Amino acid sequence: MTHTDDRAESEILAAASPSLDRRTLLRLALAGGALGLAPAALAQSGAGAPKRGGRLTIGADADPIGLDPVTLTAFSSYDFTALIYSGLLRWNADMKVEPDLATGFEQPDPTTYIFKLRSGVKFHNGQDFEAADVKHTFDRIRDPASASPSATMFASVKEVTVVDRLTVRFDLHAPSAAFLSYLATNPTGVIVPRGVGELATKPVGTGPFVFESYQPNQQFTLKANPSYYEAGLPYLDTVVFRFFKDQASLTSALRSKAIDMTWFKDPKVSAQIVRTSPDLVSAPGKTTRTFPVWMNMKAAPLNDVRVRRALSLATDRAACLQTVLGGSGKVAAMVPESHVGGYDGAGEMPYYKTDIAAAKRLLAEAGHANGIDLGDYLVVAANPLDVSCAQILQQQWAEAGIKVAIKPMETAPLIGMWLKGEFPTLLSVALSWSPDPDAIVSRITSMHGQGKSSGMADAKLDAMVVEARTILDRGKRAEAYMAIQRHIADNAYVLDIYQYPLRWEAWWSHAKGYAPLAANIRSFVRTTWVDK
Amino acid sequence: MMRMVALRLALTLPILLGVSMVAFALMRALPGDFAQASAGTTTISVEALDQIRRNLGLDRPIWAQYLAWLGNALQGDLGLSFATRRPVLGELVPRFLVTAELTLIAGLMALTLGTCTGLASARLRGRVDWIVRGWNSLLLAVPNFVVATLIVLLAGLYFPTIGIFTYVPFAEDPVANVVSLLLPALSLALTVSVTISENTRAAVLEVSSQDYVMVARAKGLTASAVLRDYLVRNALTPVITVTGLQMAALLGGSILIETIFTIPGMGQYLFESVTTRDYPAIQGIVLVAASVVLLVNVAVDIAYARVDARVSYD
Repeated sequence: MTHTDDRAESEILAAASPSLDRRTLLRLALAGGALGLAPAALAQSGAGAPKRGGRLTIGADADPIGLDPVTLTAFSSYDFTALIYSGLLRWNADMKVEPDLATGFEQPDPTTYIFKLRSGVKFHNGQDFEAADVKHTFDRIRDPASASPSATMFASVKEVTVVDRLTVRFDLHAPSAAFLSYLATNPTGVIVPRGVGELATKPVGTGPFVFESYQPNQQFTLKANPSYYEAGLPYLDTVVFRFFKDQASLTSALRSKAIDMTWFKDPKVSAQIVRTSPDLVSAPGKTTRTFPVWMNMKAAPLNDVRVRRALSLATDRAACLQTVLGGSGKVAAMVPESHVGGYDGAGEMPYYKTDIAAAKRLLAEAGHANGIDLGDYLVVAANPLDVSCAQILQQQWAEAGIKVAIKPMETAPLIGMWLKGEFPTLLSVALSWSPDPDAIVSRITSMHGQGKSSGMADAKLDAMVVEARTILDRGKRAEAYMAIQRHIADNAYVLDIYQYPLRWEAWWSHAKGYAPLAANIRSFVRTTWVDK
Repeated sequence: MMRMVALRLALTLPILLGVSMVAFALMRALPGDFAQASAGTTTISVEALDQIRRNLGLDRPIWAQYLAWLGNALQGDLGLSFATRRPVLGELVPRFLVTAELTLIAGLMALTLGTCTGLASARLRGRVDWIVRGWNSLLLAVPNFVVATLIVLLAGLYFPTIGIFTYVPFAEDPVANVVSLLLPALSLALTVSVTISENTRAAVLEVSSQDYVMVARAKGLTASAVLRDYLVRNALTPVITVTGLQMAALLGGSILIETIFTIPGMGQYLFESVTTRDYPAIQGIVLVAASVVLLVNVAVDIAYARVDARVSYD
């Protein structure tokens, strides 16, 4: 059994909050697989030594769309890249950044990072992992022809230089607190090998599992990587993903033990399943995404802050949370709890306390004494949780004299309208997990295409967001994001209703050593073993 | 006869061309494209989305895209799937075989169930007729995906150990393969059986009032001989037409049924390709599905000549 060394642990935490006074090399001693087992994962594992071998079958709700981490854009691919590839850093179970392919880094000044790479790491094709691969990866990401979604996230990177075989230097344009978060995120920051083409269909990484085969709509098979760098890991021989596009089928497959593990889109379904057998384990999901009502503030009536505040006052967020999610989540502001500066759902936020009379007063001041008809409220038809929340909001707003007509739509066109600000008044699309709060709040600044096109023009907010990006101290950064969220709530630029996990995970108790990760990937399959 | 078949087959070509054109235009008329649909709410810049579109050739005019697709298709190249970056043809063939097997089993089930209930209803009348017609009305009112979802939920609830979600490839174990397709085929077959049943009933009733049937009875033939030689054979023509037409219904139904039962066939592939706006895949599937429906129609015409002596194509 491995153990976690206290000293190493505290240095890892320091790595997550690099401050200017820590300029010396952070010697992130990473002995064997000691840190591979994060505390939460150990707690989950229960008694008994891990067993080697065996096969874990996971029920997945979507096929991957491409397996090249540089070019893929679909969330459904993350499940697979998470096990095949690895990056310089990674998230541990407590959502702190820890070293992975790097052993540590030095930060001689706020815009320079020098990473020491782990020696002896091999790609699945036998090729040695070297600094040149890191440079190759980031050159590909930054090449416009790759059309990489990660390019925006690494826009702060000026240059990547190979210092020697196992040392690589990143020069940034400006200090970026989000840089390490992006490096730790899979697939955003994972490393691909030089000179290997067609990664989209034949992935080659450094991760704990090697790609074996893929039959679309049927199954995706991975084998243990025999030369994985963490000694003793992974425990499993084989990981098989089987695809179930229908939630009812997924439920039945778990109950019939056709699969060992899965995740659900509805907390009530998950809770119901887990009640059917004491051997089913469900994890208390961490809140990683928010359900917001986006507003088109280009024109009347939503360009009037009084109307927006009236909407916020007419909303009973706690009631939505109870009715739609059965309380499995928290009241939301812009940033979910699992992020730096995330909102815990309990603190005071301006215009969050339901007050119908005050809402009516504000509407009257804005010239809508007899109520107002906001027209179409667009929601994602494919997401029943969204639709039912919209229905509850419709009733709540009606009490304050605000009328909306719910219009469920197909996902792709709805997102197109959302990004381009081409929707009539109100639109809801849940905001998925992002590696850093900057990506979330940037959306509603006037510097961002999306914010601009929906009528944002708040120089103060823009300045706050730009500044928060450069604060490297974790505590100060958290304060900055709380201030930003309060400012957003005060102006009611977005009505955030609740925050919740992306999926509710459940598995049979014979799968041990697993822990869900708020980053919405199944990283800890690498520490899972099966005891049937 | 051969000339007629050749002519009918030649006529399917312009129809296929038209179908492919309409499908091409319809998909592009739908808002949203692959770049947008696959990215979802993931953070991605507008420039990157435009670059993805350029890489896929979606920035060219629609007619240029269509002509390029048609040119390749005529040479048997259906292009690369946007989602998997693998040739569409290679993705399509195994899935088509699965769907063909599923619809075949479903078709046989529907035919058996439909003709049996139809015959029983027409011959026995009275209470049996009422039960059959009530049952048919019920099935007609309940869509096949509701039946499928009920089967999935009930089986999951009361018989959690039976592996209805373990689709077994034919090459692995032919018997288990057929067994794994029985429940999905049943949920597909039930709705289709109604049309066959109602048509069988009407046809048999019509034929039984014909003079030659009365003559047959009058000359003392046994009831079973009358049924076999006079009733069934003469009532068969409309039933064959209807069964052939239901082929399209079976293919259409397979889209949802395969998705619900997670069967890796063409229906599920279409469902997914439409959701992600995987244009090359959609074009390929539409082409194959349209060909199947057209070929079945030709086969139905040929079958007419075999069962109905009055029909001749010479």
